[in-house]
Amino acid sequence: MRIRMATDIGGTFTDLVALEEESRQITLAKSPSTPPEFHRGLADTIRKSGLDPRSVTFFAHGTTVVINALTERKGAPTALVTTRGFRDVLEITRANRPDMYNLRFEKQAPFVPRHLRFEVDERVGYKGDVMTPLDEGSVREAAERIRAAGVSAVAVCFLHSYANPAHEARCAEMLEELLPGVLVTPSYAITQEWREYERMSSAVLNSYVRPAASGYLDSLFKDLRTLEIPGSLNVMKSNGGMASFAFAKEQPIHMIESGPVGGVVGSLAIGLEIGERNLITLDIGGTTAKTSLIEGAEVKVTTEYRIEQDGRHAGYPVKIPVVDIVEIGAGGGSVAWLDPIGTLRVGPRSAGAVPGPASYSQGGTEPTVTDANLLLGRINPAYFLGGEMPLSVERARAAADPLARSLGMTVDEVARGIVRLANASMVNAIKLVSVRKGHDPREYALVAFGGGGPMHATALARELHIGKVVIPPAPGNFSAWGMLTTDYKQDFTRTSVVRAGEESMELIYGRYGELERESLEFFAREGFNAGQVVTVRAADMRYAGQEHTVRVPVPTGQPSLADVAARFHERHESAFMFRLEGPVEFVNLHLTGLVRVPNPDLSAFAPPSGSGAAGKGRRKVDFDEDGIHQAALYERERLGLEDEVVGPAVIEEAASTTVVYPGQRVSVDRIGNLVIATGGSVANGRPERRLKGGTPPHTGV
Amino acid sequence: MAVRTKIDPFAAEIIRESLVAVAEEMFVSLQRTSQSTIIYEVLDFACGITDEKAQLIAQTNGVTAFAGILTFTVQSVLDKFGLESIREGDIFCTNDPYTGGGTHLSDVAMVMPLFFEGKLLGFAANKAHWTEVGGKDAGSWTTDATEIFQEGLQFPCVRLYIDNQPLPSLVDMIRANVRTPEMSLGDMYAQAAGLRMAARRFGEMCSKHGAEQVKAGIDYLLEQGERQVRLDMQKLPKGTFHAEDFIDDDGLSEEPIPIKVKVTITDKEFIADFTGSGPQARGPINCTRTGLMGGMRTIFKAITNPDTPVNEGGFRPLTVICPEGNVFSAVRPAPVSTYWETLLNSVDLVWKALAPHMPERMTAGHFLSVCGLILAGPHSDTGELAILVEPQAGGWGAGVDKDGESGLVCIGDGETYIIPAEVCEQKYGIAVDQYALNPQDAGAGKFRGGLGLVRDYRILGDEGMFLTATFGRFKYPPWGVAGGESGSPNYVEVIRADGSPPQRFGKGARVHLLKGDIARLITGTGGGWGEPRQRSREKVLADLKEGYISERAAAETYGQRP
Repeated sequence: MRIRMATDIGGTFTDLVALEEESRQITLAKSPSTPPEFHRGLADTIRKSGLDPRSVTFFAHGTTVVINALTERKGAPTALVTTRGFRDVLEITRANRPDMYNLRFEKQAPFVPRHLRFEVDERVGYKGDVMTPLDEGSVREAAERIRAAGVSAVAVCFLHSYANPAHEARCAEMLEELLPGVLVTPSYAITQEWREYERMSSAVLNSYVRPAASGYLDSLFKDLRTLEIPGSLNVMKSNGGMASFAFAKEQPIHMIESGPVGGVVGSLAIGLEIGERNLITLDIGGTTAKTSLIEGAEVKVTTEYRIEQDGRHAGYPVKIPVVDIVEIGAGGGSVAWLDPIGTLRVGPRSAGAVPGPASYSQGGTEPTVTDANLLLGRINPAYFLGGEMPLSVERARAAADPLARSLGMTVDEVARGIVRLANASMVNAIKLVSVRKGHDPREYALVAFGGGGPMHATALARELHIGKVVIPPAPGNFSAWGMLTTDYKQDFTRTSVVRAGEESMELIYGRYGELERESLEFFAREGFNAGQVVTVRAADMRYAGQEHTVRVPVPTGQPSLADVAARFHERHESAFMFRLEGPVEFVNLHLTGLVRVPNPDLSAFAPPSGSGAAGKGRRKVDFDEDGIHQAALYERERLGLEDEVVGPAVIEEAASTTVVYPGQRVSVDRIGNLVIATGGSVANGRPERRLKGGTPPHTGV
Repeated sequence: MAVRTKIDPFAAEIIRESLVAVAEEMFVSLQRTSQSTIIYEVLDFACGITDEKAQLIAQTNGVTAFAGILTFTVQSVLDKFGLESIREGDIFCTNDPYTGGGTHLSDVAMVMPLFFEGKLLGFAANKAHWTEVGGKDAGSWTTDATEIFQEGLQFPCVRLYIDNQPLPSLVDMIRANVRTPEMSLGDMYAQAAGLRMAARRFGEMCSKHGAEQVKAGIDYLLEQGERQVRLDMQKLPKGTFHAEDFIDDDGLSEEPIPIKVKVTITDKEFIADFTGSGPQARGPINCTRTGLMGGMRTIFKAITNPDTPVNEGGFRPLTVICPEGNVFSAVRPAPVSTYWETLLNSVDLVWKALAPHMPERMTAGHFLSVCGLILAGPHSDTGELAILVEPQAGGWGAGVDKDGESGLVCIGDGETYIIPAEVCEQKYGIAVDQYALNPQDAGAGKFRGGLGLVRDYRILGDEGMFLTATFGRFKYPPWGVAGGESGSPNYVEVIRADGSPPQRFGKGARVHLLKGDIARLITGTGGGWGEPRQRSREKVLADLKEGYISERAAAETYGQRP
């Protein structure tokens, strides 16, 4: 037996998906998480799955331990060592005020207080030239003060270390010697891009979480070995790739979005299998909805990630590659409320797991999106979580009633309004990753998962004219499943501001050669040989004089200047509607190294052959503008390869519900996906839909 | 009133979201393609959508002081050209400071009509600070101009594009009149591209929802904005409030300029009256009526409702009184190129008048000045002309229950990013020797003012560079509230390599810096709130530990010894 196993630890539940390679048997398991000792809950889940750990050849893990340590401020006391004159950069930040009209704006506090920020004498110029040699005496002095302060982690960030890391490396080496047991992170190890505040912040956040993450991975390692798991142990990184435990202990900051990324990678695997290379992913949970875009089978990755950034706060930058996911406060638990002038709003506050939506009968009294879906007949109150938790329609109605009274509407109208508003914010989130970045949603298929994804996806798809919606099997465990499909991946970046000309191409080829060597060395440390590594290149480029750049794919080898420049002009024009004649610059060079994992055999989820066994009656369901219908009900597990469901319909499974609008058609493909033709794509000749005015009375107009 | 299409609040909400998204998309596009640091890094620009009557429906701005200012820009196009002569594919351009168009010549506004099925439904507009528009000095703004003609090329509200094509003769005119034609024209193209993108999105929106629904949605939103602000007005203190202050000088003489405001708040109206402030000055500190309106809309928004998106309805209770020819309402041909400092003084006056009465919304005085500077000269490595234009960050005032923030951009700037030292050194060929908090024993209080900063630029090139700077509040530091002490001043200190005595100034034009000279940029501490002796011992000791205050201040000002 050879088992590939993925586990995803969330705040509430620990999910497990395992694939037995020969029999293609899929095992799903879920048990409560056990904070703060998450590794115990994981061991419980593995035991609960009934699988023999000794057969596990590949173990993948997603965890929220890093993001939790950051947001709950439970990391280690950390010190910072930096170039003389610059220790306050961490506190000054970029000095912006995102909440512009708030005169009482409060800046977020730095992760390292001023008395733990130390300066040493050294200076490197922007071309990498040493202007002042590193004064080792001043490093020793800083080390003494750090020892006295009793911190367990130190970040080192010197000016222009992206151009020449020698001083940083030497300083880190000295600190490790002088301060045994203290974990040291030099900034160049995390990122080699310019902008000192961003790089400093990245190194500091890595340092801050490193003791906790190392401890966590060590405990987990012990537990897994106690269970006698013999296989390779890996973690999910934010860039959508796997890495070893050893790497993750050094650079835990790469696990910052460890959990949500699994679903995006899984969507890509599904897309490749069914021949859809352009995908929008939609993951709707209890508190938030997350969406991401995959173009031409390429997951979008950003290095402009910040934690705790929103309209009110500047956030803390982390300059590592993170899958570009937009997350908004609209999920099943999002609360509907009236603002002071009587406008209905939904979220971002969530009723969470406790008390949860009013219909859970756990003390919640405010109407949520789930309550609205229940009132509209879209959720089966007797079959929620497979019937484990019966829902109360009466409580949902009672919760919505005060809003209905204030608005002078019926409860059903309010329920429709709540779902419409939730959908509108989800539509806007999807627009952020698509339309706003120059991608036309009509050219994409929507992959929806998480408990709430299948409930809203069909409506969103129509609104955005997306023709096809795909609901993967076991949508509730999909993120863990996605990890089984994840390759090993590491990104290498070097800031190299160079005017693009024939004479500069040699330099560019040389820099890529260096990055190539670095990637092979990296993967050698991870236990792979050069033959297994695939590399992909890209460059951030711009017109001379611009600041911001456009990411351009660069062919391996020695492409001509004309070739690279043409690619840049094209990308610039497609993003911004114009091109210029002027000179072009390279800014950052990127190289991504990949080691592929064997693709999991998706036939494990193959549906039964035949048809006709899944129907289970009808129920009154409100489809808003499409009317109220006696919708046909189906049990997803029993839908066969030859079944075709035509809306109005509702397809139920234990952890999710798929709503099928009138006229939409659903089939099941050979790997168990529900594939829904929404009729929403303009390409299909469907007439433009218009918002109907409706008749609700309202204040004022 | 005419019969209106009915619209439900959900549809209106969705239309508003879409309009805001259009403005934001234009904003991001312009930021990412611009060639001026002051645009892409400092975000000294704004993008908005108005209806066909120039009423602002959605606006996104990087700098606060442009709040709602595009209304006046679009209005000036309507005033000059009239609805009937405006055609699809036109783009208008203005930087005229004295009509609704402008603030100073560097802020170039462009306006494009939004048509759907042949009907004019509204306008897309943007306004951005070009690094160079010509004039007597590189970087165009200066502290010693005496008339507008020295401050750059004037666009007196002209039709710049016809049928989506720029008029070649006008482009040639621009090219011939600015020092960095590629950069300035690059910004022009970026602005036009942003407008065209907005027009396309607006069209898509109309074909999706129908023009009637969009129109109805817009009307609903304007009324909703007004309803919201009427509600907010109820929470304001009622009565008449006064404040007085001084502007340091006009850049040419040492004379301070007295300024004053009378704010009257009733249930329905908010009136700011600047009568009695000094006359327009000989130097370029003058603000025009449009700038003043931007300032008043900024502070009005901060006072009433800082959270909601800007729209015209939200400004209806606001009335501004200011006689023509006053320093806040200068007339042609007064120089205006550093108008923003005086605009900020207008904001600060209203703030000062109301702060003691609105502690839940306001703090003590902050460093106030943009502390803008231009550093121009040959790059020490490449020899190409480098022009650094940037604002500084400084200390903010304390609140009734909080210390002031350290190192934040001023009220006039918002989502504005200071330039990283690493970028500065590479782009401008200078050395940045330090960037640090600048603890001064000022701004003491039960809650103390936030700290200002110190930033050193050392000149590396053999030919040196020229520095022009305007750091307001050099002579009159930020004010405290309720017994809180005043903060400390902003200034530039020039430290010469040859050992000659340092120069210290608030305003300076074309100061020649030689190789090895250091320009030290110092920003002030914010004002304190409440008596310093009431500050808790824990806070004083914590401040000492972090080095935010000196032992002497702890002992003498706060009465605490470690």
